[in-house]
Formats: sequence, structure tokens, C-alpha cells
Amino acid sequence: MTTAASEEWITSLGIDLGTSTTKLIVSRLQIKRTANAFSMPKAAIAKRTLVYCSGIYTTPLLGDNELDYPAIADILEREYRLAGISFDEVKSGAVIITGETANKRNAAKVLHQLAERAGDFVVATAGADLEGVLAGKGSGAEARSLEIKGTVLSVDIGGGTANAAFFRQGACIATITFRIGGRLIMLDNEGTITAVAGSFLPWLKANGWDLHSGSRLKLEDYREITDRMAESLLSCLAGRGSGESDALLLVGERPAVLPAADELMLSGGVAALTEEAEPTRLEEAARFGDIGPLLAGSVMRAAAAGGFRQVAARQTVRATVIGAGMHSTEIAGATVHIPPGVLPLRNVPVVKAELPPAVMDDEGRLNEAVVQAMASAKALHSAEEQAPFALFLDGPGHCTYAGLQRLADSISRGWSAHFPQQAVAVVVCRTDMAKALGQALQRRVAERVRVVCIDQVGAEHGDYIDLGEPVGGTLVPVVVKTLAFSRPPGG
Amino acid sequence: MEAFSDEAAKLTAELAGSTPARIGVGRCGTRPLTRTALQLRMDHAAAVDSVYGVVAPELLKEMGLFTVETLSGSKERYLRRPDLGRRLTDEGAALIREKCIMKPQVQVVVSDGLSAAATCANIRDVYPALLDSLAAYGLQTGTPFFVKNGRVACMDHIGEILQPDVLVMLIGERPGLVTAQSMSAYMGYRPRFGTLESDRNVISNIHARGTQPVEAGAHIGTMLAAMLEQKRSGTSLVL
Repeated sequence: MTTAASEEWITSLGIDLGTSTTKLIVSRLQIKRTANAFSMPKAAIAKRTLVYCSGIYTTPLLGDNELDYPAIADILEREYRLAGISFDEVKSGAVIITGETANKRNAAKVLHQLAERAGDFVVATAGADLEGVLAGKGSGAEARSLEIKGTVLSVDIGGGTANAAFFRQGACIATITFRIGGRLIMLDNEGTITAVAGSFLPWLKANGWDLHSGSRLKLEDYREITDRMAESLLSCLAGRGSGESDALLLVGERPAVLPAADELMLSGGVAALTEEAEPTRLEEAARFGDIGPLLAGSVMRAAAAGGFRQVAARQTVRATVIGAGMHSTEIAGATVHIPPGVLPLRNVPVVKAELPPAVMDDEGRLNEAVVQAMASAKALHSAEEQAPFALFLDGPGHCTYAGLQRLADSISRGWSAHFPQQAVAVVVCRTDMAKALGQALQRRVAERVRVVCIDQVGAEHGDYIDLGEPVGGTLVPVVVKTLAFSRPPGG
Repeated sequence: MEAFSDEAAKLTAELAGSTPARIGVGRCGTRPLTRTALQLRMDHAAAVDSVYGVVAPELLKEMGLFTVETLSGSKERYLRRPDLGRRLTDEGAALIREKCIMKPQVQVVVSDGLSAAATCANIRDVYPALLDSLAAYGLQTGTPFFVKNGRVACMDHIGEILQPDVLVMLIGERPGLVTAQSMSAYMGYRPRFGTLESDRNVISNIHARGTQPVEAGAHIGTMLAAMLEQKRSGTSLVL
């Protein structure tokens, strides 16, 4: 039987602005639309190929609290030249700002400027959860969890944070982030501290270390600190009780229960150092001017002592940037409703309506769910003035024609009541129903609003979604992300 | 039953979850367990029922479809003689000549085919979604009707009579033991006697747990619009 397939390669970029280092990768994604003679067309990213890795740059800073945008833009330009690509051929990808760098005064501005400059559909991302997920995809932890049909704990330890993500059979089921990294304490060859990250001081104090620039410590003292950091990290991840002061290491919330992991995969700059012998002299320990090499040794010992079965990562130091470049983009279902000229749309906040079958079958409850989502959408600010929000419909799995009509009535009523001014309305469905629902909605709003309806994408309340220009007419690249800078309260 | 290790039980559950086929169901000696045997007989009975079933006249009325028959006469002859299911009776041909708009842009035909149950289960969802989609593309539809005991190729006979630009036939699929409610949509550009199978397009496996019926209806509209634009169908159609 014949199979008609169309495929296109797009260039996808990843940039990671980390606490200590900045790096870039270029990848090629093969977007494939398959339509065999029997079934509806399907869309998927069939292949992801890494084609270029930049060198590893020290993240350019101006003073202590500001990113040096011109210097970062220079890196971008130089690396594009070296990679042999032009700005207009980059069609997808993500810039992620991570660790301590995300706390700089101009972080949000630099991030958005850089994403705009980098290419047509390069999105700005940040947030510890997302960083952990992308690192776990880039390191190979996600793929490994499918391979072993079990749970793999990915821990990416960089300069400022350690981002952990649990992957169970290919799906991320929990994330947690710690203020643990190789660059939290800086030192010189003699063992004199040159800087301590402010965010790290409370934990140090609580553990009886009163450190500041100029303090002079011995190798053993430093090792005691990094041992303690590593133990806190791994005992918390193993679900064992950790010291009270360890709450000071958490960035954001700790999930109530962490899953049990079958394997541990370490990545990030600190993990890259674990391949080398542990330093035995201060000069060796301080060869990068920070505690990274010592922390690497401590983490290895704590992992072994904690009984973790450790597996090697496919990528260590570049895990996050590879995740951002190669794994942030997904493709919506092949049958969609998109009026010409509306896409791309960037940074559209997501509100969720849960539509289990019981709600779909009950007109009152259906209206309530839709109205509630619209009401919470009013508090959001979208980067797209035309499209104030994206309505994400979770469920119903199977939708009858009658159910579809009720749903379309309910949504279009909500739009005219709550968003009479919107020019573009975005609906994202989990169930394969976007073309039918899009047509049903468009008929109801006529020319007044342009309806964009895509499906087979998952999202959560409070996420942001970017919809790219369709590739080959109907294949819509989608990036769902958490933007820590502008996350709306509650949900 | 032999005791499974945890690992084996996990793997079996995972494999069973990945397919609707009857795997990992256990055995007693060389034979299936009673519950497996009963389930199999029940599913087989449902498949047989769907072949011999009829589409209720009330449903056809609700959908606004009148009925014509093929030369098959009875279900037994329909099953033994596929060729008879490809021709309308003289009365049927006369009836559509009398009732239908001639040379429509889009002709919609519904048939029970090998599963009346499939028509009953899906027609309320696929058909109106298809009409909406055709309206969204600004396409004109002719007069729809129902063919009792139809085979796919009766599209050609109907095409000869009504001369539509494109024709879509929503027809019950041969039932299997997984579902007896699966429907297909066969489509063709200017179907006439002698049309090759490779000139037809099909979307199959339309049912609640397969290709979503309303989305299939919407997509059939897109395919018919593409056929009209490209003036062709089948393997050479570009979608």
C-alpha cells in the first residue's frame, strides 16, 4: 500500500545562559507528515540531529548583577558564523536562562531580546522546573527511562543550581531544584574565598560556616562543605529525611512525595568533572577558581553511599542546551484549523478547562468549566495583544457531534461575554478534534474573530504557549513552557 | 495458572495494554480460561450481529436519508456475491434519478456495508461534522441517500447516474473481534464504471476508540475540497 509522506527539515537552536557558562547548539529537526491510504494524516518530529556545538563561554556579566547583552549578542553572531547558519534559517528552538543568571536584574529583558534576535521562532524560557526537564531530555535520561521501562532520576548540576527531574517511561513525573552548584563559592589557589553567592549564605550559616570574601580555608574544610552539600542533595532525592537547614537549599516547592528511582543520571558542568580524579591539593581543587571539582567528588561518593545505581549520561555539560535546542519543540496534530496569516503567536498564557465525559454530557457543568477558565484568563497578560489567552481543553477523549456543538456554543458565548475585543482566539485540545472544533467555533464567530485550533498537545494552567508558523501548510510547531518571570498567581 | 514474577507480571500488563489483541490471558491446560472463551464468543456474536443487523428506519429518517437497494436481495447473497452489491436495482437507480440533484459538486452516500452497527454507532457524529466541513469550504452537496447491502464500488454505478464531481461513501467495515463498530469513508473524483481502486481514497477505522468520528468528518471535507481543486483522487492526490 502506498504511503504518502512529506518531510521537512527545520533548523532549531538552543542557547543556555547559565550561572557560569553560556553555550549554544544547532540542531536539525525532521518534521514528518505521514498519510497512508487508510488513515488520517499524522504529524511527528521523526528525527533530531545535533549538527553544531559551540565552545563553552563564561557568561558575560557587567558587575555583579547585570548581564552584558552586547557581549552575549557578539557570541551569538560569532557562533552563527562558525556554524555556517544565518538568522533567517533558524525556525525553532529555545533560549533558556538558568541558575543564578535568571536572578540578574536585566535577565528577563536580555532573554527576550536574545530570543527575538536568534531566529524566527526561538522562544524565551526560564524556570527551574523546565530547566530540569530539558536537561533530563538532553542528557538522555528521558530516553533511558523508556529503555529500562522504569524511573530514571536526572540531576543536572551546574554553577548555581542542581535541577532534578524524575522520568518514568518517557514522562516527567516530578521535578525539584536545589541551590547547589559548583560556583556558589569562589576561591583562589591559596584557599582564600573570593566570593560567596548571597543566596547560599543562609544554609552555610545554619550549618555553622560563617564565610565571606577573604576567609581562608583548608582543602579539608572545603571538602567538608561540599560533602555536606552532596549528602543533603542525594538524601533528599532518595526520599530520606534531611537536615532542617536543607529546606534553605530548595528553590521553589518540594513535591510532597518524590518517586523512587531505579537509576541516577548526572549531567551538567559539575557532572562533567566527575570523570577526573578527585583533587588532592588546593591548587588542583581551585583550578577553575570555584568548588566545582570538589563538589564533583563529593557527589560521586554520596551517590555511591546512598545506594543509587548510576548510569552515564549521553551528554553532560551540554545537557540543558541540547534539551532547549532539540527537545523543546513539539508538533501539533496533523488536522488543525488555522486561518492564513495568523501564526506565529508568541507567549500566549494558557488557561485550562477540564472536560471529563461527565462534564461534556452536562450542559450546566460544561458552561461552568468554560466560564471559570475565561474568568481566570482575564487576570493574565499576553505578549500577543491580539490573542489574550489560549484555552486548553483537557479531555474528553471521545467527543460526539452533539457534545462538540455544546462545547462550541459554550466557548463562543464565553468569548463574546469576556473577550469581545479579541481578534484571534486560540484553543488547544488534548483530544484529536481540532479541525472539527475549529470549524464549529469559526462558524459561530464568523469574521469577527480568527480562530486557531490545534490538538494533540498537553499543557497546564499557567504555562505559556508559542505557536510557530505552519511548516508545509498544516504542521504547527509548538513550544509549551513555564515562564518563571511572569507566572500568574494560583490556578 | 503459573505464578508470575513481579517483573513478568509488569511486562505482561504493559504488553497487554499496548494492544487490544487477546494476549497474556492465561490458560488452563491446553485451553483458554472460561472467561476468555466467553469473551471471544461474545465478541464473535457481536461481529456476526453487526453483519446481519439492520440500520433502523428511524435513524435514517432522522438523518434525512431515503433508501435504495443493490441487486444483492438478501444478506446471504450479498455475502456470497460481492459483484451484486456493486449495482443498484433498477428501482433504486430510477429512484435516485427522480429524487436527487443531478451533477452535484459533492454526493454523500451512506451504506450499511458489512456492519450495520458501525453505521448506527457513528453516523450521528461523522455525517453532520462532514456537512459542516463542506459548508466551511463553501461546497454544494447533492441529495444524500442510504444504500442497503452496498459494496464500495457501487460508488461507480451511482457516479454514472448522478455524475457528481466527487462522491463520498460512509460505509460499515468488515467487523473484527476488537470492534464491530468501525466505519470507513471512501472518496473519489468523478467515480464512473471502470474506476480503479487506486483512484479512491479512504479513511478507515472511524469509531469512538479509533479515528475520532467528528474529526474524521471534518477531515473528509478537506480531502473532498482537495480532490475538487486538483481534479483527481486516489494515489495521485496531494494532501
